[in-house]
Amino acid sequence: MKAFAQMKSFAGRGSMEGWLTRIATNTCLNILRAAKRRPELVTSDLAENETEWLERVSDSSRTKPLDAEQKVIAADLAERLLETLPAEDRLALTMMDGEGASVLEVAEVTGWSESKVKVRAFRARQKAREALEKLLGHRG
Amino acid sequence: MKDNHIIDILDNTPLANISASELRTIHAHIEACADCRRAFEAAQVSSLLLKERANEAAQNSLNANPFFQTRVLAAWREQQASAGVWSFRRLWSATGAIVASMAATTAALAVLTFVAPATNTTNQQTAAIVPYSDESVVLDQDQNNQITNDQVISAI
Repeated sequence: MKAFAQMKSFAGRGSMEGWLTRIATNTCLNILRAAKRRPELVTSDLAENETEWLERVSDSSRTKPLDAEQKVIAADLAERLLETLPAEDRLALTMMDGEGASVLEVAEVTGWSESKVKVRAFRARQKAREALEKLLGHRG
Repeated sequence: MKDNHIIDILDNTPLANISASELRTIHAHIEACADCRRAFEAAQVSSLLLKERANEAAQNSLNANPFFQTRVLAAWREQQASAGVWSFRRLWSATGAIVASMAATTAALAVLTFVAPATNTTNQQTAAIVPYSDESVVLDQDQNNQITNDQVISAI
């Protein structure tokens, strides 16, 4: 809807796909900024199936592919972990580590400098890793 | 310190992008360092979670209307095409005031030109009937241009 309403602003420079991606990215970023960040994810916040998932995935059988149910649990857990991050950190991490985007691609979509992209991604990885270290360290 | 170096590798680069040599370094290090082993394990889980989330999002996008982009582009093209037709109407509405004032000015000039000078009409009609003035009748004594009696009477 936003893209259709702002159709006149698309002057034909660049691709439609890039223009739409930029609108979608900025819209999502604004929503994330407006949403209240959840505090740090702790073990008591986890559901039983999420705790079991963490136990299962952290052992040597990690190389086995996840079944459908495990994939859903993983996606939900990832969402809850990302909710503890600042919006921009979350976006950088999602695009680079989740979708495989390069620093340059993230910079083009978001309008950030490459340095900012790297810094945001670094902080996000660090926070996510530290949060998971605590969760994995408390497993039974 | 080597520990920090290992963790810096984990935090600086997506796990999937870590080079083979760096990976060998990490594996060699975590054999002896429990802290870095936990950090690497957490980084692996984090990477897995993010990829699964991205896969689910991609799967959900496949269920979206496949013709969405086509419809948006079609609507855009239609809007671009109609912009040329409607541009004259928009121009007309924008310049309406100017056109109206010009029309009023033209009407006023027409009134002044054709209606106002009504008092000069009689003189013009007389001039058409009597081409000679009194002075020209009396003073013009050119023998070759004898004035007729009718001309004298009309001049009087």
